[in-house]
Amino acid sequence: MKLEDMSVLVCDDSMFARKSLCMFISSLGVKNIYEAADGQEAVDKYKENKPDAVFMDIVMPVITGIDALTKIVEFDPGAKVIMASSVGTQNHLKAAIKAGAADFLQKPISNDQVKQTLENIAKGVI
Amino acid sequence: MFSQFFGGYLLNKGIVTKEQLAKALDEKKNTRLRLGVLAINEGLMTAEQVEHVNITQQTVDKLFGDLAVDLGYLKPDDVTDLLHKQPTDYLLLGQTLVNMGALTNSDFEDAINSYKSKLSIDDDDLAGDQNDRLIELVKEFFHFGTTQNAKLYSNYATLLFKSLIRFIGDDFTPLEASIIKDTDTPRAVRQDITGAYNAITIIAAGKEEYSAFAKRFAKDAYVPDPEFDDASAGEFLNVCNGLYAVNESNESGVEISLTPLNFTKDEKLTIGKECFSIPVQFTFGEVEFIINF
Repeated sequence: MKLEDMSVLVCDDSMFARKSLCMFISSLGVKNIYEAADGQEAVDKYKENKPDAVFMDIVMPVITGIDALTKIVEFDPGAKVIMASSVGTQNHLKAAIKAGAADFLQKPISNDQVKQTLENIAKGVI
Repeated sequence: MFSQFFGGYLLNKGIVTKEQLAKALDEKKNTRLRLGVLAINEGLMTAEQVEHVNITQQTVDKLFGDLAVDLGYLKPDDVTDLLHKQPTDYLLLGQTLVNMGALTNSDFEDAINSYKSKLSIDDDDLAGDQNDRLIELVKEFFHFGTTQNAKLYSNYATLLFKSLIRFIGDDFTPLEASIIKDTDTPRAVRQDITGAYNAITIIAAGKEEYSAFAKRFAKDAYVPDPEFDDASAGEFLNVCNGLYAVNESNESGVEISLTPLNFTKDEKLTIGKECFSIPVQFTFGEVEFIINF
């Protein structure tokens, strides 16, 4: 799969984090980018659009990123959900892995990390 | 980071004004360090000897180093060593203040010597970024030693200042902290730490300063919009607290979590607990960091 053919869902309650990430992903040529501002919206948008990759924050209102990840993986066990959080503590890492996260990126996330992650998903490495 | 605290020291001692310091922080990037300031810092020359060389230079067409050797203040090897010294940030700040006329060489000599002796720091500390020494410096500067949770306060504040340098810029001066229970500031973002212990962290500022802070963090992605200001300032707090949580998890095995961000606009922020309010003077204005552990 080419990067420009991918669809990506970005879920973060911070408008700044969401917009920055979407802007960079768009600059890579990705056309189908969806946004969600809380965990429940992420679950709903995932079910509606089945994106190839998801970037998911952990600390969010309504339902947390870990709860949203659990629901997404229940719906689609092959979902590629990358946890992108400022809180990369041992407990959060363990919870994310247990719930089926494909990877974990500690904020602040560099553009190179995002690009590498999407390329890995596109190649089927993740 | 020693440079920022040296600035705070000068301010707290009334040696320079807020305005002079803000101007110096803004101008220090264009400052070239002179041999005289380096020689004073190294203890090789007194301020009086530097002044003598400067005055003599007005009538003799010679470089400072050559003249200082001729006058017997320095050896040729001293000049070579000084010329190879890397200009550290706090020296550039001192030199800028001297250039501006806010400090004389003698004021600078007294200030740097008393700063070093008060904090028991040497040139290696000032040139480096050793975390243990930074934590001690922060603890001493804000008098955290008097609190029950001195270690948590010191660790958190050190990480906060490192994050400010990393994400916002190094043109700031920490001011003296005070104890508060509420604040009247127009804009604020709060995030609590929960888990093994609870803590409160807040960034508060006037409308313009809050926007300027948000703009610094967002860089090219900045959009002039109050909602975006919240998002950007909030993300700084979130990233800083996240790094703190990871440090606690990795270094102390302490697991903590963060609450979603909470924003206030134009209303009195009642915290209900005694907090340390740490004002930080940037070149664009003052921002307050409020913490309770």
